[in-house]
Amino acid sequence: MRDGYPDPDRLTVGEVYRRMGEKLRLSPVVDEGMENLVLSEDVSRPGLCLTGYTHKFLYERIQIFGETEITYLSRLSPEERGEALDHVFGFPVYCCMVTKGLTPPDELLSRVRASGTALFRSPRDTTPLIHDLSDWLGETFAPRKCIHGTLVDVFGIGLLCTGRSAIGKSEAVLGLVERGHRLVADDSIRIRRTGDRLLGTGDSLMGYHMEIRGLGMVDVAALYGIKAVKSKQQVDMEVRLKDWSEELDYDRTGLEERTTNILGIRIPLFVIPVLPGRNITLLLEVAAMEHLLRKGSSTPARLLNRELIDRMREGD
Amino acid sequence: MTEKKVTVPNRLGIHARPASLLVKAAAEYASDIHILFGGDRVNAKSIMGVMTLAAGKGSELTIEADGPDEREAVEALAAIVSDGFGED
Repeated sequence: MRDGYPDPDRLTVGEVYRRMGEKLRLSPVVDEGMENLVLSEDVSRPGLCLTGYTHKFLYERIQIFGETEITYLSRLSPEERGEALDHVFGFPVYCCMVTKGLTPPDELLSRVRASGTALFRSPRDTTPLIHDLSDWLGETFAPRKCIHGTLVDVFGIGLLCTGRSAIGKSEAVLGLVERGHRLVADDSIRIRRTGDRLLGTGDSLMGYHMEIRGLGMVDVAALYGIKAVKSKQQVDMEVRLKDWSEELDYDRTGLEERTTNILGIRIPLFVIPVLPGRNITLLLEVAAMEHLLRKGSSTPARLLNRELIDRMREGD
Repeated sequence: MTEKKVTVPNRLGIHARPASLLVKAAAEYASDIHILFGGDRVNAKSIMGVMTLAAGKGSELTIEADGPDEREAVEALAAIVSDGFGED
């Protein structure tokens, strides 16, 4: 999936360095290990393993040597230091990072060289570095899929508009852009699940192009400027456009809260029948506002129904 | 569901003109048609989707269709690709 993230099945240490080196302020200490594969989205602190407790050591993760590990090692004699590190390097570790600007001991250098392990230094504090690295690895390894539709930010709500080809998704969303909302992507939406959120982006080649039948491909960013586009957006709801048919059972009350399942996450679903003369742009905008209301309080339709029931009771 | 593998033979691959040939052909069928390439699966009736594949010369595509005219759809699209979109 060309959505700005590398393929997690072939993610190398070198790729992590190319993408995150600047942010994490990494500098390679040795030449080895750049081709090693990154096997986990998590990171590990090897402190306990250095002391000899190797049970359940998470060797498949990137190993972070922070102040705890480095000061522990510095208190040992060179022989003890070598033995402590041998506990770690008895496993097939592939990448180590030394944080806080600390100096990796010679015994560490000799072991990474001998085992072909990558070693980086960073002047950054350990915890924020771990957070940034974990966030990015988490997004890279996240479950993902490509959905045919259009993703737009409407009042901060990530609205995914779907429906068959040529039903008018792009035109409706162009109307939203005209009203000041922001296009994230048209056509192929790449969605990743991180935690309990769905994150949507477009295709890195197609950018903010949209196909409008009769006009061909238009570049929304060029036409409307930077305020009309957004590179990433959480997907909060789906609006599915359907051809009008007598058999389809539409929600007439707004009491029925339908949901759809994307990568295991449930989000609200609105099914809107398309008829000539219906202003789909307006309906999309109202659907987003309705979602905001429902998130904020109880369903407006439910409130109205409660009022109706109360009114009828009074009449008894 | 019907599917068929085809290789892109023309020098420039699936650029805008070939993409529009495929999309126009796909739109004539009622079936849902998808093209699979490099881990992506795109709607064959969408020009943006087909261009997104960035399928160059030699790319092996899978065309799959599901619906009342799936066989005809797959054959028609596969023929357009194998023919190199009328390009060299």
